[in-house]
Amino acid sequence: MRSKSLFSVVFMLLVVSMLVVACQPAAPAEPAEPAAPAEPAAPAEPAAPAEPAEPAAPVEPSVDFEPMSLAAPDCEYGGLIKEIAAVDEFTVQFSMCAPDPAFPSKVAFSAFSIQPKEWIETAMESREILEKPVGTGPYVLDSWNRGDSMVFKKFADYWGTPAVTDTLVFRWTSEGAARLLELQSGTVDGIDNPSPDDFEVIEADSNLALYEREALNIFYVGFTNFFPPFDDVRVRQAVAMALDRDRIVDNFYPAGSEVASHFTPCAIPNGCVGDVWYEYDLEAAKALLADAGYPDGFDTKIFYRDVVRGYLPEPGLVATDLQAQLKDLGINAEIVVMESGAFLEESSAGRLDGIHLLGWGADYPHVTNFLDYHFAANNLQFGQPFPEIYETLMAASQVADPDEAEPLYVEANNAIKELVPMVPIAHGGSATAFKAEVAGAHSSPLSNEYMAVMDPAGRDTLVWMQNAEPISLYCNDETDGESLRACEQVLESLLSYEVGATAVNPGLATSCDPNEDLTVWTCNLRQGVKFHDGSSLDANDVVMSWVVAWDASNPLHVGNTGAFEYFTYLWWNLLNAD
Amino acid sequence: MPPVSLSNEKQKDYRSNSLWRLTLRRILRQRNAVLGLIILTFLLLMAVFADVIAPYAPEQVLIGLEEGIKKRQDPCIHLFGCPKDQPQHLMGIDGNVRDQFSRVVHGSRISLMIGFTTIGFAIIMGTILGAISGFFGGWVDNLIMRILDVLMAFPSLLLAITIVSVLGPGLQNALLAIAIVTIPVYARVVRGSVLSIKEMPYVAASRALGGNSFHILINRVLPNAIPPLIVTGTLGIGTAILDAAALSFLGLGAQPPMPEWGTMLGSERNQVFTAPHLVFYPGIAIMLTVLSFNLLGDGLRDAIDPRLGQSQN
Repeated sequence: MRSKSLFSVVFMLLVVSMLVVACQPAAPAEPAEPAAPAEPAAPAEPAAPAEPAEPAAPVEPSVDFEPMSLAAPDCEYGGLIKEIAAVDEFTVQFSMCAPDPAFPSKVAFSAFSIQPKEWIETAMESREILEKPVGTGPYVLDSWNRGDSMVFKKFADYWGTPAVTDTLVFRWTSEGAARLLELQSGTVDGIDNPSPDDFEVIEADSNLALYEREALNIFYVGFTNFFPPFDDVRVRQAVAMALDRDRIVDNFYPAGSEVASHFTPCAIPNGCVGDVWYEYDLEAAKALLADAGYPDGFDTKIFYRDVVRGYLPEPGLVATDLQAQLKDLGINAEIVVMESGAFLEESSAGRLDGIHLLGWGADYPHVTNFLDYHFAANNLQFGQPFPEIYETLMAASQVADPDEAEPLYVEANNAIKELVPMVPIAHGGSATAFKAEVAGAHSSPLSNEYMAVMDPAGRDTLVWMQNAEPISLYCNDETDGESLRACEQVLESLLSYEVGATAVNPGLATSCDPNEDLTVWTCNLRQGVKFHDGSSLDANDVVMSWVVAWDASNPLHVGNTGAFEYFTYLWWNLLNAD
Repeated sequence: MPPVSLSNEKQKDYRSNSLWRLTLRRILRQRNAVLGLIILTFLLLMAVFADVIAPYAPEQVLIGLEEGIKKRQDPCIHLFGCPKDQPQHLMGIDGNVRDQFSRVVHGSRISLMIGFTTIGFAIIMGTILGAISGFFGGWVDNLIMRILDVLMAFPSLLLAITIVSVLGPGLQNALLAIAIVTIPVYARVVRGSVLSIKEMPYVAASRALGGNSFHILINRVLPNAIPPLIVTGTLGIGTAILDAAALSFLGLGAQPPMPEWGTMLGSERNQVFTAPHLVFYPGIAIMLTVLSFNLLGDGLRDAIDPRLGQSQN
């Protein structure tokens, strides 16, 4: 009897302890979220004078406009921007530390969208801004039903051509077959990334239309040269020669894909200059491997994330095929599937001791978007960065004239081929599919399909289905394409990309003009632009939107993760970042 | 052990012989169990002679070996009108351009191996724990059974997923996880039989003749606790194969390029509509295997359960 009660007590204790354990992660997590932004905010207070204009923010800007500005003390901090200043109510001036010919392409990118200064001040610290963006775009976010859908309404006061439909719905599912089924049954008007095997099905169906996306991306097999045997360039070259890339593209990529001759796609100016990549030659590869001291091969791992992207439509199959190909070379590779976030974190820190499968889609159509990010001096993804590559790229990025920059890019591409930090495999074609009756349907090479121009045969609702749920709608601190596309319906940047293409068009600014040596860019804002909350766009909104991302010591430098990754890599570094 | 040699070897042989013969006779009288037995024999033969039956190695990529071969090609069977000049692929080609039939055949080896090893391990551990707790009783019993109760309180697949996530994905870890979550079932069965058997007159007799606890447990109690264990074990093999397939489907079990049925299902789950043969055949294989073990297990239970036996005879 006594032992029974003793055991019931022990059992109860066990249950209670399990409950406590189960609840524990939740308990610190909740205070942690507000605490995390509080941390950078605390040391930031002494730095507050960096924004002299902030306390005197007038409600009615047109009456007495006090221009905001922020300047770096010098260019020693490693970034590209020197000063962002509002010159008058409708003029913003960006001063650069070095000439930047890619400025318009970058500024048009959706990670630099503009929200009202007052809204950033109100909603940033409470993280409300992540779910309630206030933009100038053709659609207003109406509701976000987590895990299910996002509903947008037409913005009546839009400055440009208003949206065709009154309502826009975003839905998502990760399975290609499920997306196609929804499209076929008519519950959605358009889907992203149908499975390559379904291309024929869609083309054969007269009710549906397929829009192939230009292959502005790269899929590559990366090495981390910190870890032997990949520290030996001969091993990397051997793998480069042993991979039958035609076989991969022929079997696992949809029509419209091509084998990569260079890291950057040829559609981008100066993308594929220099020597073409190695031909498949198993015998030469074996000889090289033996030369390097591995006549019988070695054991390694293939890391990848099971996420479908335009550059890698069949991750599992490609990984398995690479495994089989490496076996022909004598290399026994174990396949390791990783969770997407962990995989990106580990690979970008250079901690994967094997080869990893990753890719890149163009954010803006410029060669720096491909090469400078991957082979920069501070990127450890492929191990120790190669000065032969990054020094050349650094010099090339400051030359405005593409023809003048070409010899430098030839040199850089040849160095990449010689040193093999990775093996470029394919530029993957992908597509969107819509009901045939949807007018204005398109696919964009930058994956930023613009829903405002689409007309679903006169119906007042357009339903779009993509691969995944957006992470947040504060895209100035997001890198995920699924989030960016949702933001692009609501938020706008200073410049914009042509719908379904890559040319840079005016956006919130009617123009951004450089000075003679490309170090000062002056943007003239469009007048009479209304935000979704009814306020009007002025230069301070632009400065504020930029400064909270640029200045790491700003109390409002919060965002979602606070990393502002696109800012760091497009403008080299954040101010006051330590 | 001179004092106990009273136990008549001949008599014991006769007794056990008749039990097994009787059981077999009863099984053969049940149509369902016979069907299960036939399917199982078929699967066992397939596993043993996989190398002979399968036309290709399970990991052989056929790109470049056969002209015009495409991934996820439909089955080509000469008997059903596929042109004779094309190489025959009974179950078609999988996503990595390998012969699906060869993979399904070789998969039987892995699945049967999974079933027998996990349940074998679980039975051994369960028997030890159950026998100790049933035979000695008291606080030992309480301690062991309460711990196993906690294990049983979790949904088994969920617990297996947790264990694999901690140990890291891979076939070995998946097997270990499935074995661990099934231990309580066998421990309970053994404990139950031990509890009733240890009160039997022949156990008392053995004790009276001076047999020590260990001797009685091994020679008198456990042999008689085996029949219900066999029933539960046979049914358990089916569940274990299913769980292993589920883990592999989720990418936690067998890793590519291993031809495991669950992995094959998982990697082609998106192609249900475009290439149904790639999910149909592994699915059917899993179903048949599990079905055979379930039918056989049911038959065994009917055959061995004394109450049912008496009513039948």
